[in-house]
Amino acid sequence: MPAASSLKVLVVDDQLTMRALVRSGLQQIGVTQIQEAADGEDALRMVVERPVNLILSDYNMPKMDGLGLLRAVRTYGPTSKIAFIMLTGRADTDLVKRAAQFGVNNYLVKPFTVQGLRGKIEQVFGALT
Amino acid sequence: MMASRLPMAAAPTLATPQKINVIQGEYHVSADSNVMLTTVLGSCVSTCLHDPVAGVGGMNHFLLAEQTGRGTEDAMRYGAYAMEMLINGMLKLGARRERFQAKLFGGARMMAGLSDVGADNARFALKFIEDEGFVLTGHSLGGTAARRVEFWPSSGRARQRLNVAEEPAAAPPKVPVKVDLGEVELF
Repeated sequence: MPAASSLKVLVVDDQLTMRALVRSGLQQIGVTQIQEAADGEDALRMVVERPVNLILSDYNMPKMDGLGLLRAVRTYGPTSKIAFIMLTGRADTDLVKRAAQFGVNNYLVKPFTVQGLRGKIEQVFGALT
Repeated sequence: MMASRLPMAAAPTLATPQKINVIQGEYHVSADSNVMLTTVLGSCVSTCLHDPVAGVGGMNHFLLAEQTGRGTEDAMRYGAYAMEMLINGMLKLGARRERFQAKLFGGARMMAGLSDVGADNARFALKFIEDEGFVLTGHSLGGTAARRVEFWPSSGRARQRLNVAEEPAAAPPKVPVKVDLGEVELF
């Protein structure tokens, strides 16, 4: 049963507003160690330098999208075990299937609730304390 | 004697204008100069985004509170999602977010005495545009009148018609005064 405060999470989204809302949701469930990146390239650079436990990533982003980030993370040894939850739109079923092929751990459909966010993280890590 | 024949000028080809109604919870993007996007707004807000270089534009139509009813942050997540759908649609047509120009409409107070949902919608939209660094090139928000908005996505031109009587929300006059503001070219 991991403590939410021990989780290191990287939030990746090109919209500042969405990053702020995800950060706020994470804080409400007790996560305190939160980093942010605005695209897949920045995110990849950050996790290579400072590994995290979980990447919460949007799909549609400039430079490198969420699927590109997932593939890059999974193919590089030191980052290959990082849990990855993809934030998707309502109609993105094909995206979820492709992400599953590349080893995504879970997905969260936007607009999401804090309870929904917590539920998806707990499906990956077990109940949070 | 043969009559002289003048060369025939090619007849101009005018494509039929296409009017697309954007209803609540939806969005539409286009780069077609024959397309006009339109919607009717009360307390809802509509964002009209335009990239003048790519000639791409789009409109959404959203209402924060009534969509979720679970507090401010849930409402904001819904609003951010509505914006994201529009933005992603624009990007798919070749637009670049650093060139985005935004016009905002709606957010009226439609019923006196109730919470001002329209103001919440307008506040959210203005903050979103500011936070994301888009250029706000025009807005018509608040008031008590419903609006019909028309937006030409490829040129970025917008106009609105205020089609409801302007009445003070708190203390309506005994005899309602109809104000016909007609069609107004805004930007």
